[in-house]
Amino acid sequence: MLAGVVGLVVSAAFLQFSAPDLALTQLAVEVVTTVLLLLALAALPRTGPDESSPLRRSRDGLLAAGFGLGTGFVALAVMTRPLETISWYFVEKSVPLGGGANIVNVILVDFRGYDTFGELTVLVLAALGVAALATGSRPARPAEVPLLLAVAARWLLPLALLLSIFLFGRGHNAPGGGFVAGLVTAAALLIQYMAGHGPRLRVRLAYVRIAAAGLLVAGATGIGAWFFGKPFLTSAHGEPVLPVIGGLPLGSAMAFDLGVYLAVVGATMLILVAEADTARS
Amino acid sequence: MEFLVAGAIAVLTACGVYLSLRGRTFPVVLGLGLLSYAVNLFIVAMGRLQEGLPPLVTEGADGYADPLPQALVLTAIVIGFAATGLIIAVALALRATTGTDHVDGEEPSE
Repeated sequence: MLAGVVGLVVSAAFLQFSAPDLALTQLAVEVVTTVLLLLALAALPRTGPDESSPLRRSRDGLLAAGFGLGTGFVALAVMTRPLETISWYFVEKSVPLGGGANIVNVILVDFRGYDTFGELTVLVLAALGVAALATGSRPARPAEVPLLLAVAARWLLPLALLLSIFLFGRGHNAPGGGFVAGLVTAAALLIQYMAGHGPRLRVRLAYVRIAAAGLLVAGATGIGAWFFGKPFLTSAHGEPVLPVIGGLPLGSAMAFDLGVYLAVVGATMLILVAEADTARS
Repeated sequence: MEFLVAGAIAVLTACGVYLSLRGRTFPVVLGLGLLSYAVNLFIVAMGRLQEGLPPLVTEGADGYADPLPQALVLTAIVIGFAATGLIIAVALALRATTGTDHVDGEEPSE
């Protein structure tokens, strides 16, 4: 719980220091992390015997204080120096080359798309590792679910999905994007899962498929660039004029972001569901 | 303000290191989580602290906060969650196979 509070404070700090994307993401991650920690707490023994001797504890304390002071000093030293950044390139090229006003998102899905693709792979691999380690299976009959939770979960799902679509759609030009939209969806699905709604069987397999689909979509977006004779993950954007809707700014980065979204939803839910089953059995 | 943030990073790091030196798995998980908060804050602080200058291209904005560290940290936050999930899974598997939550896999012999 306290860790959750720390996370919220960090999120507020990001907001204060002009990082709205980070604040949103941290906020959404905090929800799922707190659930994860509570699951672990439920499965691990309540109290361990205090096995550390005073000598050992003071040694650890000294070590920790040393690390803390050192890091704080370095951080302070860097922050009080003038800034010479290479980011001017991204700031200047974000709109002409990436077609988006949210520089952070454009860096993620466009300029540094290769990195993001690698990170997605790490995410999905970690989720698969969790699923492989998790031994338990979901009990056939779910425990008694509070009525309020069951009712609220039904109403919350469409609202949360709407919110995540909104966040996804505005991600390229305003704070939002595939990562945070995926986390919001995962949080909503998690409430569904806790309330006992949704498909009971083979639910893990479904999330493996979602995560894999995300990776495939992101990869296919990159490979698509080959057909235009460009290197992997080169992005394009344009503004096709559709009937009825009118001009619609679109980019291949959008498809890549969709891959990010799917992979995040799949991996997050896979981790949570696999661990919830282990903790309960 | 710089001093305050540096202090926060210092406290987070110190708590993280102390907790990860504990013998039980849950404090270690918590400690690694706190360390990842500290590292994320540190990386963002490398772009300097700027207030009211979000990195969104707008007409007439007088400068932007450094977007590069923010992009790095955004993925780091999500990866950090996945890493926490993985380490908790390892802790649960350890508990299931050895019956203890001590990081050595056995209760201390003293």
